[in-house]
Amino acid sequence: MNSVRKAALLTRLIDKLREKGSWTGETHIQKAAYFAKILAGVDMDHEYVLYKFGPFSFDLGADLTALRADGLATLEVVDPYGPRVATTRRAARIQGRFPKTLEKYDAGLEFAAANVGDQGVAALERVGTALFLLQKREGAEDIEIARRITELKPRIPVGKALDGVAAARALEAAARKAFPS
Amino acid sequence: MSPFVHEIRDPIHAFIRLDSDERRVLDSRPLQRLRHIHQLATTWLVYPGATHRRFEHSLGVMELAGRVYDVVTDPRNVSDDMQRVLEPLSVPANREYWRRAVRMAALCHDIGHLPFSHAAERELLPDDWDHENLTRHLVSSAEMQAIWASLQPPLIHTHVEKLAVGPKRAPDLEFSDWEEILSEIVVGDAFGVDRMDYSLRDSHHAGVAYGKFDHHRLVDSLRILPAMHDSRGDRSFKPELGIEEGGIQSAEALAFARYFMYSQVYFHRVRRIYDIHLMDFLKAWLPGGRFPVDVEKHLALTDSDIVEALWRAAFDRNEPLYELARRVVRRGHFQLVYERSPEDTKRTPNPGDRVYRELAKEYDRRFLRRDYYRQPRSAVGFSVRKREGGIVSSLVLSDALNNVPLVTVDRIFADRSIAKSARNWVERHRTAMVEPAENEEDNDE
Repeated sequence: MNSVRKAALLTRLIDKLREKGSWTGETHIQKAAYFAKILAGVDMDHEYVLYKFGPFSFDLGADLTALRADGLATLEVVDPYGPRVATTRRAARIQGRFPKTLEKYDAGLEFAAANVGDQGVAALERVGTALFLLQKREGAEDIEIARRITELKPRIPVGKALDGVAAARALEAAARKAFPS
Repeated sequence: MSPFVHEIRDPIHAFIRLDSDERRVLDSRPLQRLRHIHQLATTWLVYPGATHRRFEHSLGVMELAGRVYDVVTDPRNVSDDMQRVLEPLSVPANREYWRRAVRMAALCHDIGHLPFSHAAERELLPDDWDHENLTRHLVSSAEMQAIWASLQPPLIHTHVEKLAVGPKRAPDLEFSDWEEILSEIVVGDAFGVDRMDYSLRDSHHAGVAYGKFDHHRLVDSLRILPAMHDSRGDRSFKPELGIEEGGIQSAEALAFARYFMYSQVYFHRVRRIYDIHLMDFLKAWLPGGRFPVDVEKHLALTDSDIVEALWRAAFDRNEPLYELARRVVRRGHFQLVYERSPEDTKRTPNPGDRVYRELAKEYDRRFLRRDYYRQPRSAVGFSVRKREGGIVSSLVLSDALNNVPLVTVDRIFADRSIAKSARNWVERHRTAMVEPAENEEDNDE
């Protein structure tokens, strides 16, 4: 995908996340982009691994840095937490150059943003990690996935991990309904 | 653990100490080969002192990895909440095992490097291969596995692989919180000792002061801290590498050291065009235009083979690669005709794409070269423990970290025979070329 087109999509996703009340730190954007790719078919050429707080794309991290280098995004620092990402007027102009692309992927971006909503990093990590492991381990039982989450991240007890698995399954079901093809 | 300690003199760390097991790894073929791989590719053509090798850097990374590990796992430096979530910290035998793993991983982290290090790695390896991939293959080779298995207790090779390359380069492996922290010690964006050592060492050998910072203070300030990310919902106790507030100036100095080294040394325009010319030569010289990924063939190839081939070709007009070698050896490099400016970027995010496309219509593409790089991550956001207690983001405490520039390089070079003309042509058409296109929808690459 052309890097300018990708910038248009990514900044639109950030805008939608802000509309839904998201903190829009990098972690929130990472999870939203992952949901958009895996559940709604919005592929911005990002490969994901299990890393910071669940599914994480180094390519997406680089793209977010590039948005700042190109003046399409800025960081707003809030004491004592990490920075929030905000788009700029220049980003709106770039989006204006890709009306067909944005229309095509609008439902997918909306779905991802709505499902991130105003959730915090801890909750997003549980559901994101569960979704990632479910994708990799087709047919696995919920308890297997939950135990693996706890093994990798001992600070997440099995009960909380099971909540994450249930939330991930619900997300998958919602995506199947919203995007049947 | 082996009781014998060996000492090696080092210009950055004074003495590097290793035990006999580590010495066996150091004496293995993959490590000894690094004596013949330049750390900074062709940088010595611009900074003549920069002829140092990956070998001494690998030793330095091991030394720093051990120091950082000892600091962050020292019980006096670990808070109760982190003690609870990181089980290996509370079992002495496990602490010792992982200390060994992190030092071995640090020692081996570069063994997959191609001749002349990063120069043209992506273009000269088969698809989906990079030097980290080669590192993993070498770590799990029969030769190295024999060493890991003979240690007491034996070292699991996947642990060494994980810590040596990190999650980005080992997407097939799942990292626990603990393994993630340890890989951050070696190759992390913010405080990875790989970066610390190369900044100090490259600065020293290039003869510049840009890369120096108070690494003693920084290392002593490092801690495993819970990440701080938002105010929503329940708190995450995800551990990550952070610092005590007293180390914030050292962390600022590291961030700026990195920026200056990138802008002044690693991305020096002449150094970069030499790397491109070297890549052109290698594409023509290597069988099939690619480096081998077979372990034995990889181990057999060093910078020396390539320097010899370059030298031979550069002084014999009958050699098929004469012209490509001459550009490197006899200083016939292409010259800069375009460099992206902030003004260009205001008009379009990737001005170099357009300028190169238009220039290639006007001039023979064989006489043009493009150099494009974007810094992948800024790595200035991390947790800081305040003097009065409590965790805060580094970006809340430090204006300096908020203002570290991002490195972006976008340049076009041309053969000397057309450079002046091409430069003038770019100046005449620059504004028109970087104007936003009316319809980008149908203009994908």
